[in-house]
Parts: sequence; C-alpha cells; structure tokens
Amino acid sequence: MRHMSKLTTRWVRGTVAAAAIVPLLALALVPMTGGGVAAASAKPFKVCMGTGGQGLDWQTGQGQVLQAIAHKEGWSSVVLSNNNSASTTVSNVQVFIQDGCNAVVEFNPSAPGDVPAMSAKLGAAKIPVITFDVGEPGAYFVGIDNLKAGIAGGQMLGKIIKSKWGCNLDLIIASHAHGAGTVDTQRTGGMITGVLRECPNIPQSKIVNDEGSGQVSVALPAGRNVLAAHPTAKRIAVVGINDSTVTGTIEAAEQLGRASGIIGWGQDGSLITGANVDPHLLGSVFYFLEGYAEATLPLLKEIAAGHAPPVQDNTHNNPEVLLQPCPVTAAQARHVPGYSARLHKLLQSPPGTTEYALFCPNK
Amino acid sequence: MAEKTLPELAQGTLTPDGPMMARPVRPAGTASSLWPSRSRPEGTATGTVIVGAWGALVFGSALFRSDFLSRQTLLAVTFTMAIVGVLSVGQGLVAMSGAILDLSVPTALILPSWAVASLLGQGINIFLVIFAALAVGGAWGLFNALIIVFGKINPIIVTLGTNFAGAAMLNILFENAQTPMSSGLAKWGQGKFLGLPNIFWPMLLIIALVGYFVPRSRVGRHMIAVGGSSQAARARGISLRKTRFAVFVASGTLSGVAALLFTASDLYFIPNDGSNFLLPTLATIIVAGIALSGGAGNLWLIFLSVGFLSTVTTALAFYGLSDVWQQVPPGAILMIAVSIDGYRRMRSRR
Repeated sequence: MRHMSKLTTRWVRGTVAAAAIVPLLALALVPMTGGGVAAASAKPFKVCMGTGGQGLDWQTGQGQVLQAIAHKEGWSSVVLSNNNSASTTVSNVQVFIQDGCNAVVEFNPSAPGDVPAMSAKLGAAKIPVITFDVGEPGAYFVGIDNLKAGIAGGQMLGKIIKSKWGCNLDLIIASHAHGAGTVDTQRTGGMITGVLRECPNIPQSKIVNDEGSGQVSVALPAGRNVLAAHPTAKRIAVVGINDSTVTGTIEAAEQLGRASGIIGWGQDGSLITGANVDPHLLGSVFYFLEGYAEATLPLLKEIAAGHAPPVQDNTHNNPEVLLQPCPVTAAQARHVPGYSARLHKLLQSPPGTTEYALFCPNK
Repeated sequence: MAEKTLPELAQGTLTPDGPMMARPVRPAGTASSLWPSRSRPEGTATGTVIVGAWGALVFGSALFRSDFLSRQTLLAVTFTMAIVGVLSVGQGLVAMSGAILDLSVPTALILPSWAVASLLGQGINIFLVIFAALAVGGAWGLFNALIIVFGKINPIIVTLGTNFAGAAMLNILFENAQTPMSSGLAKWGQGKFLGLPNIFWPMLLIIALVGYFVPRSRVGRHMIAVGGSSQAARARGISLRKTRFAVFVASGTLSGVAALLFTASDLYFIPNDGSNFLLPTLATIIVAGIALSGGAGNLWLIFLSVGFLSTVTTALAFYGLSDVWQQVPPGAILMIAVSIDGYRRMRSRR
C-alpha cells in the first residue's frame, strides 16, 4: 500500500513536472515563421531561406517577404531561423539539402565564418546559393552597399558637425560590432571616412572606438565608460554599425548629464521611425532590410526557369544585386512608415517593387 | 530545536534534493564556520581582499590618469552596478540555498521588462506597472521552483532549460520593445538623487536589507542550512520544498525589480539583451565569495564585488586599451575567482 502510495506520488510529481515543461518545449519548437507552402503534385520549385535569427524584426521580415514572393510565384518555400548561430546555420543547410531545395537564400551578417561551411555544403549538393550582405565565392551576392551606406551617413553627419561646430569637435565615438567582420569595417569605418570628407582636419586622436555589438544594452555601458574616460569632451559625435549602438551611446551621454553636447547618426533605420526617437539621433541610413528578398526575385526566376546566370559573388566588386542605401534626416524619417506598415505595403505591392522605390525620400 | 547547531547543519556537501554526502561536522565558531560569528563576520577576508583590489585599482588608475577621479567615473560605475547588483542578490540567494546557479537570469530579466514596456506603452499607471514587474518576475521564479521541486530535477538543469524555452517564448512575444521616453519611469531612470543615479539606490537598499535579514531571519537561516546540507536540514525538520519555493520566488521578484531599473535606464531592448547580464551576475557572486556549493556567503559583499567589477570595465577605457581587448580582464578576474572558490571547497573537504 505504502509502495503504491509512493508510486502514485512519483507519478503525480512526474505529471506536474511534465505538464510544466511540455508547453515550454512546445514554444521552443515552434518555428519562427510558418513552414513551407504545401507541395503541389508537380513538385514546384522550392526556395529555402535561413534567416539571421529572431532578435530583430527585419530578420523575421526577410523570411516573410521571401515566403510571400514564393506564394505569388507558385513556388514552395521553407524558412528556418539560423538563430545567429554557426552550428544552427550548418544544420539548417543540411535540412535544406535533404528537403530537396532548388535554391537557398542565407543571411549571416553576425557570423561571417559560417558562410564558407554553408557554401561548401550547398556547393557539393549543386544548389545555387544567394547570400545577403556577406559575400562568398560561388554564391550570388545580394546586399546593401555597406561602404556607400557608411560614407553617406558619415557625410550627412559631417555636414552637421561643420555647420554646428565648424568641424571643431572634441570626440568622435565609433561604436562597432566586430563580430560582423567586413560589414562593420565598411559601415562604421565608412561613417568615419564620410565625416572626415566633410571635416578633414579632425585628428585621429579624437576618434575613439568601442564595442557595441549592435545592441543598445552593450553600447550603453561601453558608451558610459568611453565618456567617463573623456570627461572634458563637450562636442561629441557618435557613429556606429547601426541605430542601436548609436542610440545606446547617446543614452549613455544622457545618463552622465552630457546630452546637450552629443549628436549621432545611425545606420539601418531601425530606431529612426515612430514616436520614441531619441532627439539626439539626427538621422540614419535606411537599408529596408526586411525587403531584401524582393531584390532576389529576378535571379530566382532565372534559376527556377533552369537557366541560372553566371555567379556574381562580389569577390571582384561585381555583385549580383547591390541595394541602394537611403540616408535620411530624423525630420525626413518622420514621414517614412514604421517597419510593420512598410512590410504590409511591400507585401501588397506588385512583384519586384522595392522599398527603396516606395519609401526613400532622397532617391 | 535550538538554532545554535545550524552551523553544524551547514557543513554538508550540497547536492540539491539528490544523493548527498555529509561533510565532517566542525565545531561552531571555528575559522571556517559558515555562520556569522560575533568575533568575525562571514566573508571578512574576502571583503578585505575586494576592498584592497578595488582600492588598488582606483589608486593605480588615478595615478595613470588623474581625471579618473571624476564625477563622470562615479556615475558610469554606479549606473553599471545597479542592474547587475540586484540580479546578483537573487543569484546569491540561489547559490547560498544550494541550488548552485539560476541560469534563467536572461529570461527572468527580459520577461518582466517586456511587461513593463508594454504596459507603459498603453499608459497604465506606474504603480500597477511596478506591481506587474514584480508579479511577472515572481511568477517566473515560481515556475522554476515548481519544476525543480515536483520534477526533482537539479536546479541548474531546470533553469538552463527554462531559459532556452523562455528565450523562444520572448522571441515569439516580441521582437523589440521600447520604454516610452515621455514616461515617468524613463525620466526617473535618467535622474539622480544625492548625486548618484536614481537606479543605484534601490540596488543599495536591496543589498543592505537582504544581506541583513538572510542571516538573521528564520527563513534566511533555513536557506543557509539547506544550502549547507539538505540532508541535515531535512533531519532538523526544515522543509526543502518551502525553502526552494521561497528562494526562487524571491530571486524572480528581484529580477522584476532589476527589470524596472533596466527599462528605466535602457529604453530600447530586444529579447536577447538579457544574455548580457548572466556572466556579470555570476562573476559578481563568485568574486563576492558566495560559495557555489551553498551554505556560505555574505550578501553584503555583493556591493563590493559589483562595485569592483564595474570599476574594472570603466578603468579599462582610461587605459586606452583596444575595445577588443577590454573583454579580457573581466574574464581573467572571473577565472581567478572561480579558481579561488574551487580551492576553498577543496580545502573545506579536507
């Protein structure tokens, strides 16, 4: 009897624990976006995508746009999240191969080292690959012109520095994300180049680098530390790999009571729209990242028709598609719809329409 | 039962709810006693070492750059201390109770933060928002405790698992969140009181109060006893279940407090941001000398530990070290602290 009671207690405990764990596991296993489009009997062209992750809205948006394109074209599609992880990227590629994908699109900006491993596997399986933003020999390159975007944003900021302070500033903080490799070098470095084109006499000693990892929560303490180490700097400009690192650094100045002397210009346009824009973020450069998949449509159509064009992999600065950056001031950005509205309009537009054409005020 | 034997209870080897080996019992009041004795408070040696290291760091940095001793440095350090300090108190409670570590800190921080940002965005009253943050944090701790207690699973495994699942849940719930700039919380988060950040004071108060009450309250003593030897504590009639529940709910509620400080000072965040706080929290309790084997530690030392570690990262910016290399010294300090903790445990087993 006692034995039975013990067993019952154990069973109850086990059931309670399982009941608690199962919903969480179920949540964890829910795919980031809906799976593939139902396969037709004629085995339609299947396009597969590994998105960067789920941490940023445009990352999921890229998958949504690709699936919408596939749906309109009558293709089958599979979208998996790479979760910003090298091992997940490679295992997703294995899934794509086993699933019989006819073309694969990958976005891996935070882990450039993933690209060769991914590319080698898909190359061996003779599946055409399109990479977003990180180039790879043998893979079609589709992406923003990061250097052009960086320089354009830097020049816009440089013009403000020139008119506001006569190019006489105390400090430029460059908030990097070194993990992004060449993307960081071109974008953040490009911004410095752009500022120096407008104000060539700013000495290198006034440029300080810190690591913002592309996140406000990392850029914020790093920014506080840099600002503390330059306590007399009164005229400060901030550049960075994206809006998050620039905004984080600006927030740091606000916390240290130095907001009146800081200005920044971001990249990617993620924090320049809406009602909660930091007043010291004077502008940004839109890439309309969520709409990248639209730019792949002509290429995917050719691949689907069985005559894939020669690979343009950007190794010799000859990309398949180079998207145009769209620098905007904060005032102009007020008239650009937010992410969700942009995505909605893009998905309702005729195939091949780009967000640059729809929304950029400085075409 | 007389409380005077609690130090003896605390001498066991911790394996939460699992098979255990009792440690040889030492008489209370010896140098290695885990109970704060009247002659020498718990962690005096550790505290002295941290104060010495912190002082040396400040002195050395001031010699290198005289402007290190500025109000800007003080503000940078105290802002950095606040959130990590509060999270570390919760982590310290978990460690002292013998549950080793709570690896679900990232979710425990971001889940209530998301609740705070969402409610503020809808214009909900700040007092309701504060209540919601504490309730969501506490509920997360309760959820962990339910699985640990009824599933009889090692807490470190449970919190690792719930953190993964929680991260997935957060990614489904939202992609990015913003504290409205016009909200009272955002304004309070930028403000100062007595020259120091507003968000610093709740951290100081929590460390002071929890550090005071843990060794002096019944529930706190039970927690230390369970952490020292769950078998011996059970033999003394202390409920392991109640203790586990109390510790994890308290830790979760503290995460709710940390979430309020986080959303007040970091107005834009994404689900993954919580992961930036796990390692600093672990480093803080390890440097504070809180035994990962449970049953020992002085929560007041968290103030010194988080202050020292926050000063290290700020000081590195003064030394002009490349931003890539700035990650190295905090990592080295963590490794040294873990080695010291391991050495202490090895010595206590002899």
